[in-house]
Amino acid sequence: MTSTTVPRQTRRSPRVGAIWRGIAGVLGLAIVLEIVSRSGIVDQKYLPPFSEVIVRSFTLWGDASFRNDVGSTLLTYLIGLAISIVIAVPLGALFGLSNRVYRAARAVIELLRPIPPVALIPLVLLMLGSGMEMKVVIVVFAAVWPIMFNTLYGVHDVDPYAKDMARSFGIGRFGIIRRIVIPSAAPFIMTGVRISSSIALIVVITVELIAGGAQGIGAYISRLRGSYSDAADTYLSVLAATIMAGLIGLVINLVIGWLERRFFGWEARDSA
Amino acid sequence: MTDTSTRALAARATRPTGTPTRGRRALISLGYFVIPIAVVIGIWQLVTILNPPAPFFPQPFAIIANLWDLLFGSPKAVQQVFYGEFLQTVGRMALGFALGAIWGVIVGTIMGLWRGARETINPIVEFLRSIPATATLPLFIILLGGGDDMRVAFIAYGVSWFVLINTAQGVGAIHKTLLDVGKVFKISPARRIFRIVLPGAMPKIFAGLRIASTAALLLAIVSEFMLASNGIGYMLVQAQGRFQLLNMWSWMLALAILGLIINTLLEWIEGRILAWHRQSRART
Repeated sequence: MTSTTVPRQTRRSPRVGAIWRGIAGVLGLAIVLEIVSRSGIVDQKYLPPFSEVIVRSFTLWGDASFRNDVGSTLLTYLIGLAISIVIAVPLGALFGLSNRVYRAARAVIELLRPIPPVALIPLVLLMLGSGMEMKVVIVVFAAVWPIMFNTLYGVHDVDPYAKDMARSFGIGRFGIIRRIVIPSAAPFIMTGVRISSSIALIVVITVELIAGGAQGIGAYISRLRGSYSDAADTYLSVLAATIMAGLIGLVINLVIGWLERRFFGWEARDSA
Repeated sequence: MTDTSTRALAARATRPTGTPTRGRRALISLGYFVIPIAVVIGIWQLVTILNPPAPFFPQPFAIIANLWDLLFGSPKAVQQVFYGEFLQTVGRMALGFALGAIWGVIVGTIMGLWRGARETINPIVEFLRSIPATATLPLFIILLGGGDDMRVAFIAYGVSWFVLINTAQGVGAIHKTLLDVGKVFKISPARRIFRIVLPGAMPKIFAGLRIASTAALLLAIVSEFMLASNGIGYMLVQAQGRFQLLNMWSWMLALAILGLIINTLLEWIEGRILAWHRQSRART
């Protein structure tokens, strides 16, 4: 391999060999799955041919109800993430700036945080019904923590000299928070948002899956499973919808990662 | 008597003012733990007493008493139910967690050691990982049915990604010289893996295990929500269906306590196993 003589390359341009190997890996898996299914080693009912799954995951988009469900999931995800940021960033900043407040709040936080968000579903379902509010509440409960803690770490990490200097230039308390603390904690906050983003998407789909009824990709899968009209066909759709859920997750991760590099690329730190 | 008091005086004199003794510090941190929780519970209790029609928020003392009843109450049947449900959930979770962790460490080590393997598998891993694990539950149900083995496999699948990614990173970050030293000394490959590679990657692996443990509890509950006949998640759904809010809150409290115990346990194990790591880092 010639590329071994090349010194380390940047992360943005992976080696050509890596790309080819990746493609080979995916193709290899696809071919193996196809052969295993077509040859009948495993019942086609349980493992449909890979090509059919791919075709189905494209034709799914022709179904208007699927498109609506995807839209609903994305909307819930965005609202939930936005509310989480609005709640978590000020709280994290407050805890980061005042140790006393943090110590007082810590016990309650430590008790709330280990509660699995899905454990709240029955309660919130009874209180708010199976609409979007229910989903958003649970998403916020799950997504608040990483943003809050990363904001807190970021605020702790602010250069004290910078704060002192700003103070000596006569900048007030809020001026310091706005001009020094928040910008310098921003990369940390972004890391928190990136972690929370994937959590939020997982929780949205999980809630839809469990609570059913409402709209969303999870509800779509749940409805499919409920209708046992044609088992093999249903299974194919479930598989395709699951793959689409993964694709949506992948795209969201890529977008968030790109945003992070684009706006906070100067911050080489990776504190995840 | 006088001797001790003078020594105490001397000790107090030498101590810089403003730094409390260890005993007082412990008392203060205990206060910081107990008082806020007491305040929250007190407010909640007061509000529910003063404002009786609050069907969704039972009185906190009633919840705790109910949980206590379920746990240690005299009727044997109830007690059996609780321990049964509790242990069902914990057992499935632990088994799934263990299987997923082992699988994750194996695949992660392979990916970390051989670049060829990493580059070939990576796109597949990245894609499968971005499918929310819970969304694959219907697939598991269709493939493996509604039994316990399905739930364990589902938990193991969801948990393995966190361990796999972290192991691959940890193993990949081990300095190549270390591996070469092992080769030069003709240490057998198996020993190299258990004595050099895995200990070197241990801090990263533990970070993955911690996330994975939280995920394991969540996945266990989700799997019980969807299709089960026992377990904490099942009891929670049952309580919801019958509108028994007191029981529901009690099961939720039980879950919170369970999560807290798992977290603390893993932190403790991590502290013991990684003590060398922290020491070596403190020295540099």
